[in-house]
Amino acid sequence: MVEPLLALREVGHSFGGLSVLRSVTFDVPEGGIIGLIGPNGSGKTTLFNIVTGYIRPLAGTVTYRGAALERDTIQQRGLQGLVRTFQTPQVFEQMTVLENVMVGCTKLTRTTMLQDLLRTPAARGQMREIRERAEAACERFRLGALRDLPAASLTAGQRRLLEIARAVVGEPRLLLLDEPSSGLNVQEIDDLRDWIVRLNEEGITILLVSHDMGLMTVARTVHTLYFGEIIASGDMAAIQRDPRVREVYLGV
Amino acid sequence: MNPRTLLWLAIGLVVWAVLPFVVPRYMADLLVFTGIYTVAGLGIGLLLGHCGIVNLAQATFYGLGAYASAYCTVMMGLPSIVGFLVGAAISMVLAYVIGRPILRLTGYFLALGTLALSAIASALFFEWDWLTGGTLGIGGIPKLDLFGFLLDRPSRYYFFVWIVAFACMAVARNLVDSRTGLMLRAMRDSSTAAAALSIDLQALRTKVFVVCALFGSLAGSLFAHHASFVSTQSFTVDRSISFLLIPVIGGATSIPGIVVGALFVTFLPELLSKLGDIHQILFGLALVAVVVLMPEGLVGAFGKLRARLAKRGSGHG
Repeated sequence: MVEPLLALREVGHSFGGLSVLRSVTFDVPEGGIIGLIGPNGSGKTTLFNIVTGYIRPLAGTVTYRGAALERDTIQQRGLQGLVRTFQTPQVFEQMTVLENVMVGCTKLTRTTMLQDLLRTPAARGQMREIRERAEAACERFRLGALRDLPAASLTAGQRRLLEIARAVVGEPRLLLLDEPSSGLNVQEIDDLRDWIVRLNEEGITILLVSHDMGLMTVARTVHTLYFGEIIASGDMAAIQRDPRVREVYLGV
Repeated sequence: MNPRTLLWLAIGLVVWAVLPFVVPRYMADLLVFTGIYTVAGLGIGLLLGHCGIVNLAQATFYGLGAYASAYCTVMMGLPSIVGFLVGAAISMVLAYVIGRPILRLTGYFLALGTLALSAIASALFFEWDWLTGGTLGIGGIPKLDLFGFLLDRPSRYYFFVWIVAFACMAVARNLVDSRTGLMLRAMRDSSTAAAALSIDLQALRTKVFVVCALFGSLAGSLFAHHASFVSTQSFTVDRSISFLLIPVIGGATSIPGIVVGALFVTFLPELLSKLGDIHQILFGLALVAVVVLMPEGLVGAFGKLRARLAKRGSGHG
């Protein structure tokens, strides 16, 4: 059996005695698109925070490429190719669109503070490389016309796209998208779906959290989280037929 | 660079070069202080404008630089350069050791942490009189000697201080334009997202704090060789506050803004003092006016004004 890219085993967490995740176990295979649905408060974002290192789980293990992640910081996980977006897009508001994307490239290069202070040829070369990569990414994600605008002036849809572009320039292996369709209109959600499919075809594994059933159709396997437990898993069609999911999710 | 910028730069350079010879001596003296304060203020500006960190401890590093220069030259008879280097080394090590723990704090708590550092340092400068001379201070610090050319008058020292200040401005500019600068601004705008993009917030903040301390110490050494005398009064919490005012007034994200801020805190109190006892109140009012009416500092306000005028001009044309 091929080892999964990301594996969660019996992950549990609680906040002040309130249990939010109970023995959650699932795999994210390399190259897949895995969905995680569930109503508000079902623990989706907590699970995301555990995988990306913002929260340490109280129980269970998270393994990435066969190694336990427990001791790795958020930054170390990022360097290993685990990159997330946020439920509310977190753009760097006072920076331009291009600069935002450039920040996403910074982890691909290394300069010391001294090199940057003295503007050595190495530092200049790396900065040029960062800029070129970011410019190409702006064009690709159709942000070229906006690239010199401050990110604060973008619409919700543009912010979402910028956040994805900024994550993708860092060459992630596993991209974790947290509610990427929230705040978007129908057209923008369609575009988003196209992007997810295209990025996946390029080899990026995707873990998608959403309560948007429509967007979830891109996922090959969907896990349904309800009050901290996985109550159903399968493709979207199977999930939609599942009586328990229908009961808790659709109220029928 | 377009010809117009070049022309302005040339005019600025000429004004800069003749200034110490045409103004009265006390003003040349103030201009030297402006240069020294620019160096100290640059560090604070990097922290405030690019990291969102309020540093109220710059007088500590300014004091360390000044005392290192005073002690090394007067007490030990070493060359001036040793004082500069010893001050810089001690300041950077201290900034690293203290920065690691206190830079875990954010916002007001961090500001208070740095304020505490300044208060403690100021008390130690007073208590450790075997090292600092206490309130009596250390006098007789020699003037700098640059390859046999003695910088013994404000008009001479002026050029040295300002060349150092320009070099520091260039270094600060490099940092702002670099990969590190990008990461700093990202961290300032959203630390959560910066962490997700593998930016090590703690390490980066500590490094900038160390650079800030280096600038502070350098300014302190420059001050010691200018004043020839250092004592505890120069390194109090008050001084830390006036250093913080430099980027606040001038504009924290702008490097020329630091010079404007330094001019403000050196010249305005001096000019206002001619008006008698009321001058401190007037300085306070001017300060409040700038902070309330121009949140981006004088340089930011000037930029906005120019943009508005340009818009109006094009609207009519």
